[in-house]
Amino acid sequence: MSQTYNPTAFMNNADTHSGVTNAKLGVWLFLASEIMLFATLFTSYIVLRMASSSWPWGWDVLNVPLATLNTVILITSSVTIVMAYAKAYDKDKAGFQKWMAATILLSLGFLVVKAFEYGAEFKLGIGPHTSVFYAIYFTMTGLHGIHILGGIAVNAGLLYMSSVTEHWENPLFLGRVEGAGLYWHFVDIVWIFLFPALYLL
Amino acid sequence: MSKNNDSRHDEHRPDVGLYVKVFLALMVLTLITVAISKIHLPRPQAIALGLFVALIKASLVGALFMHLWGENKLIHKALFITVGFGAVLILPIIDFVMVSRRITSPADVAAQHPGGHGGHAEAVSESVKLDAPAVPAKGH
Repeated sequence: MSQTYNPTAFMNNADTHSGVTNAKLGVWLFLASEIMLFATLFTSYIVLRMASSSWPWGWDVLNVPLATLNTVILITSSVTIVMAYAKAYDKDKAGFQKWMAATILLSLGFLVVKAFEYGAEFKLGIGPHTSVFYAIYFTMTGLHGIHILGGIAVNAGLLYMSSVTEHWENPLFLGRVEGAGLYWHFVDIVWIFLFPALYLL
Repeated sequence: MSKNNDSRHDEHRPDVGLYVKVFLALMVLTLITVAISKIHLPRPQAIALGLFVALIKASLVGALFMHLWGENKLIHKALFITVGFGAVLILPIIDFVMVSRRITSPADVAAQHPGGHGGHAEAVSESVKLDAPAVPAKGH
């Protein structure tokens, strides 16, 4: 039996013969490439640390209380975005908007705390040029910060789209929220490893 | 019509109670991570323990927030391949650095040149030093 050609099938979560929509598979493959990106940076960190004759304790040279606060903020934002997903699943628009707005505020809070941390370091004349430790510290936390900015843009876009009936009622909207959530949790996981590696150990 | 035309066909049913429990577990594990660094264990043990706790936290987020627990096998395969390639990239490099460190350590060089004076070992050791972090200590 021949299949009917439907050029817009992808818009309706067409059967991919795998049980996974193209969109979700795309997000996971993107995350796979991100894993490789951060893996190379963590490898650089390990190599530089092991080859260095001395390496500072994070407690001595970085602001651990601020980084701990940022860890709490990011973990909390992972919960708020998953709550936003739960509300989108239940078709509760007000609930979705509340939790997504909370996620965006927490993300901005993370960046504000990070800005204070960077600001204090720059004031002391500390930068990526200071040492190998600071070079890898600024590279990894800076790249992570750029990912936070990307997440804020996507989440703010979804918050806006939820206010437009056409988008909110689109059957693909839930998948978009799930994709954004996957990305955000990945950013959280990167920080979960960055925090002890740079600040504590 | 396709059996997958339902927009929810591969989206996961949320479990709010579970999310709250995971959140509390992550907070406790964060406190444990900070506590481990405060008790000043020998560095190798501190690193191993700290990364072990981080691995548990990441697993909780991945399995329950990202719904990898119960996710389609295709996603598992894609991640498995990614981790495999990552290991292929990382492990030989780490091993190379460890071997380099062993054979150029002062003790190792001294063992290779038992009749020589210590100056040679120090010179070799000095030659493999990278930039020692010039970090001004701050009080927090």
